[in-house]
Amino acid sequence: MADILVTEDTTKYQGIALALDKSCKLLAILGGLTLVCMAIMSLWSIVGRSFFSSPLLGDYELVQMLSGMAVAMTLPYAQWIGGHVIVDFFTAKAPIKANALMDMIAAVLMALFSAVIAWRLVVGLIDLKSTMDASMMLNLPTWWSYVPMTASFVLLTATALFTANTNLRKLLK
Amino acid sequence: MTPIQWGTLMFGVLLLLLAVRVHIGIAMLMTGSIGYVFVAGFDPLMSYFKSAAYARFSVYDLSVVPLFLLMGQFATHGGLSKALFQAGNAFIGHWRGGMAMAGVTACAGFGAICGSSLATAATMGQVALPELKAHGYSGRFSTAVLAAGGTLGILIPPSVPLVIYAILTEQNIAKLFLAAFIPGILAAIGYMIVIAIVARVSPADAPAGDRYSWAQRLQALVETWPVMLIFAVVIGGIYGGFFTPTEAASIGTVATATVAWRSGGLRGKGFLQCMYGTAAATGMIFLILLGADVLNVFLVLTQVNVALANWVIGLNVSPILVMFVIIFIYLVLGCIMDSLSMILLTIPIFFPIVMGLDIWGLDPESKAIWFGIIVLMVVEIGLITPPVGMNVFIINSLAKDVPMKETFKYVMPFLASDLLRIVVIVFVPSIVLFVLKI
Repeated sequence: MADILVTEDTTKYQGIALALDKSCKLLAILGGLTLVCMAIMSLWSIVGRSFFSSPLLGDYELVQMLSGMAVAMTLPYAQWIGGHVIVDFFTAKAPIKANALMDMIAAVLMALFSAVIAWRLVVGLIDLKSTMDASMMLNLPTWWSYVPMTASFVLLTATALFTANTNLRKLLK
Repeated sequence: MTPIQWGTLMFGVLLLLLAVRVHIGIAMLMTGSIGYVFVAGFDPLMSYFKSAAYARFSVYDLSVVPLFLLMGQFATHGGLSKALFQAGNAFIGHWRGGMAMAGVTACAGFGAICGSSLATAATMGQVALPELKAHGYSGRFSTAVLAAGGTLGILIPPSVPLVIYAILTEQNIAKLFLAAFIPGILAAIGYMIVIAIVARVSPADAPAGDRYSWAQRLQALVETWPVMLIFAVVIGGIYGGFFTPTEAASIGTVATATVAWRSGGLRGKGFLQCMYGTAAATGMIFLILLGADVLNVFLVLTQVNVALANWVIGLNVSPILVMFVIIFIYLVLGCIMDSLSMILLTIPIFFPIVMGLDIWGLDPESKAIWFGIIVLMVVEIGLITPPVGMNVFIINSLAKDVPMKETFKYVMPFLASDLLRIVVIVFVPSIVLFVLKI
């Protein structure tokens, strides 16, 4: 688990790296704030139903939608800081270049899969929009959640490609 | 090829991918996908991907996980770890090794409002290491105590791995939390006994600290009230059925955020650090969850886990032997993998086996809860075993003057107490289960 290991990187990023750094952090903060909203909303719902016997309508489905969005928004940041777990037991003593090659391939695979998921999310979004799929209680369109999710997977793809490029440079050095 | 052969082959591919540094979540996603294509076809997989991410990330029961992580971040920034350590120290600091024991009780207390071991180890390390050093405790012993104490973070509820286990096996989270409580207390007591022994065998490592008056003790205890209140509301609320785990975690999040805000921990970069810390941990966990989901769909299609379970059950060997083989596999995996990946990878395979065995005549629900607690304790050991004991890494990054080897050496007695506790609980399930019958 990479919580707490997070330290503010003081490296001065430039160009694409700076843009990725800012976007990943922005999404991470938005994801965190979404969770805070979700917590406050649940609290409201509890207070409402226990003291004023007026439960918040559709609190379950709001939690589902918000957590779906919040979780997806954290993925690019985790990749940006290298927080997604790998097993490095077997390769810890391998030459740096060998590890750079493997890390590059791993990053390309991540980019590939997150690109496929982003593409399928867009297709899913269009499907849901055309069938007017909506939540049970509040009648919120389901496709709304797909918008931040798609953005997150697109950014994850870009971040993974950047990691692949970094490793490629290590390899060619 | 039969589905069983497919399953076995893909499992081999998965292990190979892991060995060559592919991210665990992506490796699961990839093997699951390839298997899915061969068993069901390409179009069904593409159609499944349309909704897979949303379906996985928006599960109501799982929403408790990011909330617990956020709550842990706020608790870390709220200065509660310091109050806990001071309180423990005021009561037992003057015993031989007493300050180290206070470190363990503080870890247990912090574990009661934080569901992650690394966060517990890191925050307690920051607070307790300088104090222990100032009072003449050796670096190698202090780091070992806090690395081991940190594992109480996931053992004492709330616990993120236990939530994942509950969802994978469709068990009641409240009952699992309650069942983890006594083993958590036993773990803390076991660690304190280890400290007492070390303090007597090698007094230079663990001297006695200052004695405090009762007035000071009570005052230090009063300082910890937010922890007690938050724990009582969150865990009591879940178990009493007053609210769902997600709602309880929401209350805990708002409460710890208030404490952190009042103590000034959210000033400056504090709030952003909470956001980043939560994002890093959430992203890491849910990528693995997404991968495990695809892999599980493939397992269900091939029924390879059911076939394996039937084969093991058909062997007619002693169920306790099977349990110890499973525990041994976890100990080996724990040396190379993190706890959540281990649970997600192995539970779909081991759970049907254990449920098919007749162990001590337990009914299915009791057996599932008992096995969950054992798994939790075994994967938690992986956090302090070499070569990649994450807790040891974190504590050592806070005490750079202590060689990692020395810490690992001093972790060994704590490891022995863990193993002893696991063996006892395997043979006496009622230690875990009796609280559920009250």
